[in-house]
Amino acid sequence: MQRRSFLVMAGATLAATPRIAYAQKPIKVGMPMPLSGPPALFGEPATKGALMFIEEINAKGGVLGRKLELLTRDSKADANEAVRVSRELILKENVDFLVGTLTSAEGPAVSVVAKENKIVFIAPIPKTDQLTAQDKLHPYVFRVAATTTMEGRSAAEIVAKWPVTRVGTIAFDYAYGQDVTRAFVEHIKKLKPSVQIVDQQWPKLGEQDYNPFINAQMAKKPEAVVSSIWGGFFVTFSKQARALGYFDAIKSNFIGLGEAGSPETTKAMGPDYPVGIWGNSYDAFYWDTASPAHRDYTARLAKFTKEEYPSSWAIQGYIGMQFLAEAIKKAGSTDSDKVAKALLGLTVETPVGPLTIREKDHQANRGQLYGKTVKDAQYPFPIMKPVTYVDPTRFMD
Amino acid sequence: MPDLSFVFAQSLSGLTAAMFLFLIAAGLSLIFGVLRVLNFAHGTFYMLGAYSAYQFVQWLGPGPGTFWVAALGAALAIAALGGVVERLLFRHLYGKEELYQLLFTYALVLILSDVAKIIWGTQQKSLSRPPGLTGSFSLFGATIPFYNLFILLLGPAIALAFWFVLQRTRMGRFIRAAALDRETLGALGVNVDALYMWVFVLASFLGGLGGALISPMRAIVPGMDTEVIVEAFVVVVIGGLGSFWGTFLGAIIYGQVLSFGILFFPRFSIFSVFALMAAVLIVRPWGLLGRPLR
Amino acid sequence: MMRRVPWALLVFLAAFSVPALASRFYTFLANDVIIWALFATSLNLLVGYTGLVSFGHAAYFGIGAYTTGILMKKLGLPFLLAFPAAGVFAGACALVFGFFCVRLTRIYFAMLTLAFAQIVWAICFKWNEVTGGEQGMPEIPYPSFDWVDRVATILPFVGGYRTSDYYYFTSLILVGVCLWLLRRIVHSPFGRMLTTIRENAERAEFIGVNVRRYELAAFVLAGGFAGLAGGIFGIFNRGVFPDFAYWTKSSEVLIMTLLGGMGTFYGPAVGALVLLWLNQQIVSYTEYWPLVLGVILVLLLFVFPGGIVGALSDLWRRLDRRRRHA
Repeated sequence: MQRRSFLVMAGATLAATPRIAYAQKPIKVGMPMPLSGPPALFGEPATKGALMFIEEINAKGGVLGRKLELLTRDSKADANEAVRVSRELILKENVDFLVGTLTSAEGPAVSVVAKENKIVFIAPIPKTDQLTAQDKLHPYVFRVAATTTMEGRSAAEIVAKWPVTRVGTIAFDYAYGQDVTRAFVEHIKKLKPSVQIVDQQWPKLGEQDYNPFINAQMAKKPEAVVSSIWGGFFVTFSKQARALGYFDAIKSNFIGLGEAGSPETTKAMGPDYPVGIWGNSYDAFYWDTASPAHRDYTARLAKFTKEEYPSSWAIQGYIGMQFLAEAIKKAGSTDSDKVAKALLGLTVETPVGPLTIREKDHQANRGQLYGKTVKDAQYPFPIMKPVTYVDPTRFMD
Repeated sequence: MPDLSFVFAQSLSGLTAAMFLFLIAAGLSLIFGVLRVLNFAHGTFYMLGAYSAYQFVQWLGPGPGTFWVAALGAALAIAALGGVVERLLFRHLYGKEELYQLLFTYALVLILSDVAKIIWGTQQKSLSRPPGLTGSFSLFGATIPFYNLFILLLGPAIALAFWFVLQRTRMGRFIRAAALDRETLGALGVNVDALYMWVFVLASFLGGLGGALISPMRAIVPGMDTEVIVEAFVVVVIGGLGSFWGTFLGAIIYGQVLSFGILFFPRFSIFSVFALMAAVLIVRPWGLLGRPLR
Repeated sequence: MMRRVPWALLVFLAAFSVPALASRFYTFLANDVIIWALFATSLNLLVGYTGLVSFGHAAYFGIGAYTTGILMKKLGLPFLLAFPAAGVFAGACALVFGFFCVRLTRIYFAMLTLAFAQIVWAICFKWNEVTGGEQGMPEIPYPSFDWVDRVATILPFVGGYRTSDYYYFTSLILVGVCLWLLRRIVHSPFGRMLTTIRENAERAEFIGVNVRRYELAAFVLAGGFAGLAGGIFGIFNRGVFPDFAYWTKSSEVLIMTLLGGMGTFYGPAVGALVLLWLNQQIVSYTEYWPLVLGVILVLLLFVFPGGIVGALSDLWRRLDRRRRHA
């Protein structure tokens, strides 16, 4: 895996593209993303996905005859920094659009800046319902990520099919964890009223030692557990849990939301991964029942990032940029109001299939891939198989 | 009444966490006791120890002794780093205000964590437990992984080794003397400069070793340096800044508070570290075994 | 001659021209700088003047921001009430926390300030109903500027600016007043006593000074002014978030104070200007701003311990001496 300065890359990309006489300036897109700290795990590949899209579309002549240019900034997963860099991007660099942010605080914060400056803002990762809630919605904010409601309900649908009634949850004690868990609990009680939530554990965000929570949960003897512990924290949690026999005790009736089934996680953990659990992921390069478009995208991504097993997070940056480019084309202009209008109801053929941003709350019906992990001879790490894309349209009220 | 095997399991978790923390906090305590500086960069040495161990394992490839060689190698590498930092940079700050020394260690945190990011990237890394210590056994109804048992035994072993060095060897006597009165020690002809460097090297060794040994039980990710340094601070404060057995005791107490705290105050674990630190500093600032500092 | 020029006043007046002369971006940057200048100067009351190093000053900044935010957004109170309330409430919290902190010295004092600050952060992070939890409170309303149209009929140059510009003018006036107050405090007998305490607390005790009471007073004043800075900032930032109180903010403001120079009154303000401007410049080129900041910090500590203002005044003194001997 190579480290790159993304701006150097963007600049080199522009320099390398064949010089046709473009009299017009490029369309500038600002991308505030966490590039440091624990969320950088997702922010960095998402940025690469966006860069790849830009490189591809510029090679085909750009949008409306103009090239796209991406300006990335490290938002440090800090809402205040995200506001600062967004303002800098809008007011100093004069970006025409914003695609970015990751955490549930950054998204709404930048949304306010976008509203006041009338800049179209597409959020590819924040899951908080608050971003597109009725009281916070405005013409310029859009989201192409899943929401906590979609995630929680998708999990409920899966768990309802398991032969279990005693269910536990474990989630970080902050907005994301609380909202996903609540969405799950509400929905599963509707689908299968016999389900009892026998235990709920709430480690603090960033916990390093999960042993007390694991012991406490095992003492209540749940038959299944729904977790939303994400990223590197999931690796820590599951290593500790596996050592204590946690997954055996619940017979692997465990679903790891927060993308615990992603290839990054299974690859990082290798033999330590608790094979047999369910997880979700935004993308999976090994998705065998995928469309040819997906296979093509995966091959291009592998080439672009020079990784044999490309990231599952790049796709969110890619899809964000796709929607933006399509909207600009449809609007026939880069004027914010026209592009914002063009985004409503827009359907785009993404590598995971057609996605539509609905008018009601500017939310795309972005589902995720869910599957049970198994060992596979083809790869040196577990994969989800069979892996299904769960369409969330029925969960969106 | 919660059943006994659960209480036993929680207690054991608390002890294991304590021993990990002790390994890291011991180095912090040593530097504070002798050099009178709170080294923020200690958490970064811990993180670099974990990353180095990962790197050595990648280079050495799989094999029965790989993990141990990697862990030792990592600890030595970090010890060397500590020595270089002390010799080239830190020693020029000795006469100056405490604030400058503290801010220097903070500058180290900024620089070294970005260096780690440049070298290893932002993606999570993971090391497996060494073959031979995978697996677990059952005791009083609780599952005890062998690796945890190893840490549980290693903690006191290192504490005892330390105690022996401090009490029974010449070097140890000098260290204790330097902690009490460095000027007189210098006047007596001991090379205090070299002593300081070796103390820093030893503390860095422990920090790096802690990072390497903890990596089978945690993910190696950016940000792990700042997460651990705060816990190490609390442990050292509870036990008493500068007191060696205080650090050991502080680690044990902290571990148990965390373990059982989540049963009595289930959603307040975010407060535990700081509430405990504040409580100790208000009631008994010099900690349980520290000396009242004026 | 140099001394008699009222530099601070000139800078203050010149700052009003920023929206007219510079782009919107620089107005925002200037707004950011003046708020942090106040924040850093309030910290310097503790660090530079009283010799108390606090690692948790951001707590009061955060408390001030949340106070103004909650009063304006949830209770609909006007800015005229919400802003002073920020200072009062932050000062009150500083009184409670400070009472315990000033009983300690040096590293113990610093660690207790850190512990309290993190507890404040944790409360902001967890108390969803009041503070919005981890997601904070986005979109705090600007104070109402409708009255400006009426004033503009009498003073025409006042009219015609954007809301964000009016807010900048408001911030500038408020920060100016606060800095003026702080300067009065620092030059008063009370302020001089603080400096005496910094130099030798024991000697101060011997001459009958109740050191602890003075330190607590300094702590409360510093906290109060930090709260006022926070109150202005919450609106400027278009939202209040828990990381306002997180220890990284405390370290940022401490670095600013050091960068500018702890030994002078305007040092921290200069530090705020330089650091924010540098940050803004460098993040456009690289994501490794922490590395750059760390290196700058190391340079400062080894080469320019007096900060920028310290180094400049040394240079000035040396040039002056040469001029006089020539």
